[in-house]
Amino acid sequence: MLSTTVIKEIIKVVGKENVLTTKEELLCYAYDSTPRAFLPDLVARPCCTAQIQKIAKLANEHLFPLVPRGAGTGLSGGSLPVDGGVVVDLTRMNKILEIDEENLVAVVEPGVITFQIQEEVEKRGLFYPPDPASLKTSTIGGNVAECAGGPRALKYGVTRDYVLGLEVVTPDGEVITTGGKTVKSVTGYDLLRLYTGSEGTLGIITKIYLRLIPKPEAKKTMMVVYDKLDDAAQSVSRIIRGGIIPVTLEMMDDRTIRCVENYKQMGLPLDAEAILIIEVDGPQILLDSQAQEIAKLCQDCGAREIKIAETEEERESIWAARRSVSAAVVQIKPTKISEDISVPRMAIPRMVRRLKEIASRYNLELVIFGHAGDGNLHPNILCDQTDAEEMQRVEKAIGELFKAAVELGGTLSGEHGIGMMKAPYLKVETGEAGFEVMRRIKEALDPNNILNPGKIFRGDTNG
Amino acid sequence: MDNKTIKEYLNRCSKCGGCQAVCPLYGETHSEPLVARGKLFLMKNYLDGNLDLSPKMMELMSLCLLCKACTVQCPNRIPVDELVLSIRREIAHHKGIPFVKKNVFQHLLQNNGRLTIAAKLAYLYQQSGLQWLMRKTNILGLLPGEIARKEKLLPRMAKIPFRAQVPKTLSSSKPRLRVGYYTGCLTNYVFAETGHAVLKVLKNHSLDVVIPEQWCCGLPALASGDEESAVLLARRNIEAFKKADVDIIITDCASCGSMLHEYGDLIGGRDARIFSQKVVDFSQLIGDVIDFQPGDKEVSGVATYHDPCHLCRGQGVVEAPRRLIKAVPGITFREMEESDRCCGAAGSFNLSHYHLANKIGHRKIRNVIESGAQLVITGCPSCIMQIRHQLELQEASVQVMHLAELLSKTY
Repeated sequence: MLSTTVIKEIIKVVGKENVLTTKEELLCYAYDSTPRAFLPDLVARPCCTAQIQKIAKLANEHLFPLVPRGAGTGLSGGSLPVDGGVVVDLTRMNKILEIDEENLVAVVEPGVITFQIQEEVEKRGLFYPPDPASLKTSTIGGNVAECAGGPRALKYGVTRDYVLGLEVVTPDGEVITTGGKTVKSVTGYDLLRLYTGSEGTLGIITKIYLRLIPKPEAKKTMMVVYDKLDDAAQSVSRIIRGGIIPVTLEMMDDRTIRCVENYKQMGLPLDAEAILIIEVDGPQILLDSQAQEIAKLCQDCGAREIKIAETEEERESIWAARRSVSAAVVQIKPTKISEDISVPRMAIPRMVRRLKEIASRYNLELVIFGHAGDGNLHPNILCDQTDAEEMQRVEKAIGELFKAAVELGGTLSGEHGIGMMKAPYLKVETGEAGFEVMRRIKEALDPNNILNPGKIFRGDTNG
Repeated sequence: MDNKTIKEYLNRCSKCGGCQAVCPLYGETHSEPLVARGKLFLMKNYLDGNLDLSPKMMELMSLCLLCKACTVQCPNRIPVDELVLSIRREIAHHKGIPFVKKNVFQHLLQNNGRLTIAAKLAYLYQQSGLQWLMRKTNILGLLPGEIARKEKLLPRMAKIPFRAQVPKTLSSSKPRLRVGYYTGCLTNYVFAETGHAVLKVLKNHSLDVVIPEQWCCGLPALASGDEESAVLLARRNIEAFKKADVDIIITDCASCGSMLHEYGDLIGGRDARIFSQKVVDFSQLIGDVIDFQPGDKEVSGVATYHDPCHLCRGQGVVEAPRRLIKAVPGITFREMEESDRCCGAAGSFNLSHYHLANKIGHRKIRNVIESGAQLVITGCPSCIMQIRHQLELQEASVQVMHLAELLSKTY
């Protein structure tokens, strides 16, 4: 609970209209896109870096948690106020400050919606590639804090590959700038990489310098159907080794295919083990031959059917199948627990088999889709959050699937972050010593544990 | 909708936040309690006994345009607008309906005589010079709130209500269809010219037209949670059009149209369902049911089209109005950005939440201006009122008119 003195101080900083304290309003900042919710004590909506500095100083003086929040669309609980305190809503800081067409850099505030950045730079023939599924709603600040990925990561990389500079308010209320408009920078430690993906635990990002690239001229999309999952995985490897890096290489497993077909009759084969959606981009003149080459490779690997989109409508209809996955799978059961383990791409068939085995052992509904090109899978468990017994089985299954991913040389999280949802499993991957290094960094930078407590490290004594 | 169904829908929300991308209120405020995800979570908490119907809760639930943008995009197919209506009904049930609204819904709207008198008083206020005096002296500016500015939203009332100006039946020599015309309150009391335009177009297509005595469609009452008044009004309209024995029922108002379609579910029973099945929008009748035959007069200019929420999402009418505009000789059609984004009128939302409605309207006008059109065509009198007010506020020299008026200019 915050004292009235503290509340008054915060009101002095951001203004009465930007402080929310009623239970109704607080409840609306208690959740993100996970099934969990925790009531904050207050929501502050600052408009600038200076206000955030003042709030951070107050937090250190009066020892209350600060939880930075963008659009609240995270999938690991990163913006959940698990210990209460003040949610710092950054959506008012939503200006694109500069698009530097000469240096190929965009300078933006954290609350800008990622899609808006893409729209603006694409008007100028430029491109910001990271494309998390939530890009039409999620903010760039949240994308940087969680190091969001997306289907295009295979060719273009993830958010961290585009962060050139950051302005950050430290937990004690100082402002630092690390990096900037230069492509190269080796001045001291690489703080950019430290803050990118730090999940709001080390600082509040207040300004972002993004690297832009020229927009690819055109794209071509194809759908490939496989009788055997292993053949699909083999194709993925062959395509990449063959020298063509597609923009996206999306996979749907048999269960997902059936769900989508049940939901929207689009003529998908109900007996196929996997479907790949492959998209290449680049100069128009190269795309036809690249598509043909990929088709041939897939054929060699045992593909049963290959459909290359010749028109925009055909392209749309291929993507419509992938896009309706989320809606289709919740028809099975209302609660969707979306995981995002990542494994080396050739381990995908083994991982899929392990996942199916785990699901059947715990008697759970599981669909698997994701970014086959980079090994980042989204096993989604469909359950009902009002069924306590089932949720316990879900919890156990998740623990096992993380273990399986690490055993196959993979990682707990490809793009969602650890947040609170995966915190109990962090050591499975980092080990004691790795965990300890991270914990010490956190302790050194935020000795009072003001920023986003309960994330990454919870489950251990110093959470 | 019963509590069990409501709970099932609320349970379906995965809080993905997709509604943020399309909610006009969220777009202007970035305020989570205003977006569907927030409202659904609050409703869930209310049903779980974790929240009361506090003044704050009531305020938040009033802050919805019912524009259906979130409902259409929701990957889990949650009918958000219907859930908002159900919580408003709950609020009305437990907390009552505000005094003014109650009088409007339960007395004024159910009595055409009184409604006509009220419209007449408004007309007199505008004609007597009193309005001029009030605006000139800024007396209203001395009153609290936004009364002075809101007063300008009040449209010019028709001297004589439209339905009193025209006969109850218009016969054609070889009628193809017998059309019942539901005029809606705004056409009747404010935009008589729209009514005349509708009749002119119908007359040029060999149709018999019947305009029976009719009442408010009930949507304003339903949107405020007063289902009882809405049901009463619906029954009267069903009865009136049954007696008129028509093949098809048309309306020039998107909001009324979507409500008339709801009668079947709201009341149930054969008569109500038959009534709802007969309802089509003016643009559907002219564009889809019969073939539009424009006159030879040219109407020059660049026109754009604003999709009323209750027409595009409410009734799935998107293509017919555009086709009709393009068929008008001399007109160049140019699509605006976000043509289907709510203009902020949303019934009386622009009166109850004037500032917010202005922000939403501002975006609409920006899109209109960027399209380069000199003419905005739409299919809902309530949108016309809002868009006209917003154009005035921004001193834009763009005209707004009903589709029927545009079509009627060709004869």
